[in-house]
Amino acid sequence: MKKETVKQILLHIGLICAALICVYPLSRIFTVSIRPGDRIISTDLALIPDQATFLSYIKLLKETYFLRWLYNSLVITAATSFIGVSLASTAAYAFSRFEFFGKRSAMIVLLATQMIPAGMLILPLFLMIMKLNLMNTYLGMIIAYSVSSLPFSIWILKGYYDTIPKSLEEAAMVDGTGHIGAFWKVILPLSTPALSIAFLFNFTAAWNEYLVARVVLFSSKQYTWTLGLFELQGQFITQWGMFAAGSMLVTVPVLLVFLYSSKWLVSGLTLGSVKG
Amino acid sequence: MASVNFKNIVKKYNDNLILDNVNLEIKDHEFVVVVGPSGCGKTTLLRLLAGLEEITSGDIEIDNIKVNDLPPSKREIAMVFQDYALYPHMTVRENMSFALKLKRFPKEEIEKRVKEAATILQLEKLLNRMPRQLSGGQRQRVAIGRAIVRKPKVFLFDEPLSNLDAKLREEMRIEIAKLYQNLNSTIVYVTHDQVEAMTLAGRIVVMNKGIVQQNGTPLDVYRKPQNAFVAGFIGSPTMNFLKGKIKFEGDFFYFENNDAKIFLPMFSFPEAEKYSGKEVILGIRPDDIVLDSAKIDHAHKLSAVVEVIELLGHRENIYLKMGEQRILAVGEAFGDLSPNAKAEFSLNYKNIHIFDAITEKRINP
Amino acid sequence: MSSVISSLAEIISFIILIAAAVAAIELYLWSHFKYHNKKLILYSLGIFFSIAFAFVFKLSGFFSVKVFSLFLIWELFLIYASKNLLKGKKYLPYLLAAPAFLGLAALLMYPFIFQVYLSFHDLKLTTIMKWKETGELPFAGIKQYIAVFTVPPLAETGFFKLLWRTLAWTFVNVFFHVLGGFILALMLSEVKAFKGIYRTLLVVPWAMPQVVAVLAMRGEFHSQYGFVNVMIKKALAIFPWLASLGITPVNWLSDYPLLTCVIINIWLGIPFMTVIILGGLQSISKSYYDAASIDGAGYFQKLYYITMPLIKPVLMPAVTLGTVWTFNNINVIYLVTGQAGGTEQADILVSALYKAAFTYNRYSYSAAFAMVIFAILFSISVSYSKFFAEKKEGKT
Repeated sequence: MKKETVKQILLHIGLICAALICVYPLSRIFTVSIRPGDRIISTDLALIPDQATFLSYIKLLKETYFLRWLYNSLVITAATSFIGVSLASTAAYAFSRFEFFGKRSAMIVLLATQMIPAGMLILPLFLMIMKLNLMNTYLGMIIAYSVSSLPFSIWILKGYYDTIPKSLEEAAMVDGTGHIGAFWKVILPLSTPALSIAFLFNFTAAWNEYLVARVVLFSSKQYTWTLGLFELQGQFITQWGMFAAGSMLVTVPVLLVFLYSSKWLVSGLTLGSVKG
Repeated sequence: MASVNFKNIVKKYNDNLILDNVNLEIKDHEFVVVVGPSGCGKTTLLRLLAGLEEITSGDIEIDNIKVNDLPPSKREIAMVFQDYALYPHMTVRENMSFALKLKRFPKEEIEKRVKEAATILQLEKLLNRMPRQLSGGQRQRVAIGRAIVRKPKVFLFDEPLSNLDAKLREEMRIEIAKLYQNLNSTIVYVTHDQVEAMTLAGRIVVMNKGIVQQNGTPLDVYRKPQNAFVAGFIGSPTMNFLKGKIKFEGDFFYFENNDAKIFLPMFSFPEAEKYSGKEVILGIRPDDIVLDSAKIDHAHKLSAVVEVIELLGHRENIYLKMGEQRILAVGEAFGDLSPNAKAEFSLNYKNIHIFDAITEKRINP
Repeated sequence: MSSVISSLAEIISFIILIAAAVAAIELYLWSHFKYHNKKLILYSLGIFFSIAFAFVFKLSGFFSVKVFSLFLIWELFLIYASKNLLKGKKYLPYLLAAPAFLGLAALLMYPFIFQVYLSFHDLKLTTIMKWKETGELPFAGIKQYIAVFTVPPLAETGFFKLLWRTLAWTFVNVFFHVLGGFILALMLSEVKAFKGIYRTLLVVPWAMPQVVAVLAMRGEFHSQYGFVNVMIKKALAIFPWLASLGITPVNWLSDYPLLTCVIINIWLGIPFMTVIILGGLQSISKSYYDAASIDGAGYFQKLYYITMPLIKPVLMPAVTLGTVWTFNNINVIYLVTGQAGGTEQADILVSALYKAAFTYNRYSYSAAFAMVIFAILFSISVSYSKFFAEKKEGKT
């Protein structure tokens, strides 16, 4: 009995240390974001500094394009996720429900695309976008992002469709719709959980993307928030407070959504990997 | 209401022959039960009729119109699935009105029909529930309700009772029988349960290995099975089969093997002479084994040893051992036999079934 | 005032974009599958055509004859296919999968092929304008591939040094990810109180946007104000003898950039492994442990004989994935060292590739470099999968 208590205490100590290490940088950003302007840079380690103020937030919103960056990110990300999920939903349906010539090889192609390092394709994508005169535009970004999460989305959705009994569509077909109608009216509404996972996945991937945005967007009005924050942080001394404020504003909602959905996200991940 | 006609239906999956030249005519208002062991092609037959699968060759006609190329939605059929296939994201009401909505029926008409069906099936109070809130029997009723609101030409039932427990199954069986009396429509019903087939059917189609083995009224199929497979499949408990030769001895024909020698009266096997000395299979239902000493044919009685007695309540199953051959007989409960006792019996000659040992076809009338 | 109007215009154009997407889907369904929603179809037609016209006029450069003819061919194919669709279901799956695969072909396969093409030509800052206008490129043969091995992709660090660094980077990171993940998952599965809270806190690095996480961690390694050095200084003040062990505040970012990147990446990667392994641990039935206890196994024996083998099917895909991710991780290194004048001592292959392409603008060289990296990754994963396939066969 006593041994067990000692063990539990040790476990708690270990976990508290680990949790501190995990959360500390975030808490530091928070601290910096509410420091007064003249003391942004300091070796002080207190969580809530003396004379805490929201000046950095106000400065961020007033003096930079931060809201505009968020809006840019939102437009690009929403459009990307919408395209990605709609393409994936039909393709996954074809893979889940039909036997057709080339199905196996198409699945292998899907897996193989995962082997191509994303970083490797930035250059040709960049050149394509340049050639199409889409540099520094939403459309260019959307084109660059739209298929990056497609194989994974197809994989998740296929796994989910596979769990829906075939007889549901057959019932719908007997009830008077075609195959597409059955998909539209029965399968899609039933797949909302998987569709939201796929959407979320697409969304986070595009939302947090930095490297493509860095080369496609060049005017600071068109920046996504990742670029904007990087720029703020780059000029370390002067704008560290604004960077911290911006980070807080971006991170907190993302964190909440992630924690709320992490259960499904993880099950989706394992679904994809185990079934693959 | 409509007739259904299967003409030379062949269905192959890759090289697997699922249905081998099936011909079947179903008349208007008929309740046809297709029965057979799993994998016999009965469900495939139903799915072909529904249009859920494509025919390899042959024609299907509904109401004398060829429907081979029509999609399921255009065939005016309704189907009750084995797992009910209720749309999980719709209420009972929405489930039942889905098909009518697709056909753009006026709202009042939909409401009226749903109400009608709900009354017949006692679903009025459940209309606003979701399928997951229903019990198995209720789901079953909703599935049937979804079919009847459509007033289709043909109803298809795909093993609708197999997911229910025994008691519920009996209840639903009665419901379906009642429904048929009310609707008086053409029904094609697929099951592997021969009890359902016997009790519900106006006509039974017994299938095995993609071939229609027999097609007739329940009584016909029970009393005069056309081959050994049908004989063994229909009837519970199963028929006893004995393998042996026909022997002619002193003006009479006998069935003989190592374990027994059984007298065959002329009326039960008029063609005996043709088969004299040939291998045959003799089938006799447990009910047709006479144990009651008052009714036994004492001149040709057989004797065996009682092996096990299973008491079922009102009756008992008596397993007899005649040489190496085990024979099941059915007797009144609490008879005077006990295990290891010697038992004497004879056969009810009116109901013996003789099959050719090679073709397994019935050879007595 | 004008900014309000322009932002309104932005919002409206965004709404139109979504409407156009809906319209496009609706029309697509209608034209190819005869499925339509009566109400939507009129809207769709109106919106679609007006927008199409606007686009053609506005971006007439984009709608070149080539693109348009490709589009026509695609449409003709669809119409042909949809006619057959009415007879059999055979074309349906192709039609369903086609949009996704066209997307993949245009934005994954085509760039890949384009990259191969590039790698045999000579595209650099001096030739890019000509290429953009005329599409002409001087042919270079395998010159670029030779250059990959002889000319350093960055200012000074050469290919083989980068390769070695990449392998070390990948191995160290994955090793610590799995180790850390395993320890944390074990602790989580055995702790009795506050499990949920710990679990939530431990996934924070994974849940944070990576850019924020990396930049924040980068700040913590600042030589003067970063948490790490501040702590070291405080420790030294309390335990002066630590200095004799060589522990002193250092210029992390300029003197030890690779180590900094590794630490940051380990910090980032552990939560994912923890979650995956925890899932695996929870799926192991308790009865195995009970049986092992009855058989007389101790804690570590149980760990070795039960937990490890049973966790393997969950762990292996995660490790494979993690290896590929780590190998391809540009984000961490670029975000830490990518600023103007940043060091190149931390660069691995992929980040060097990114810098060669976009900092040094050596496009064709980078294309060849990318192909070489791809070849390396490909051969590693092939031998890896073969290795495991053989192992599996050996078992059964």
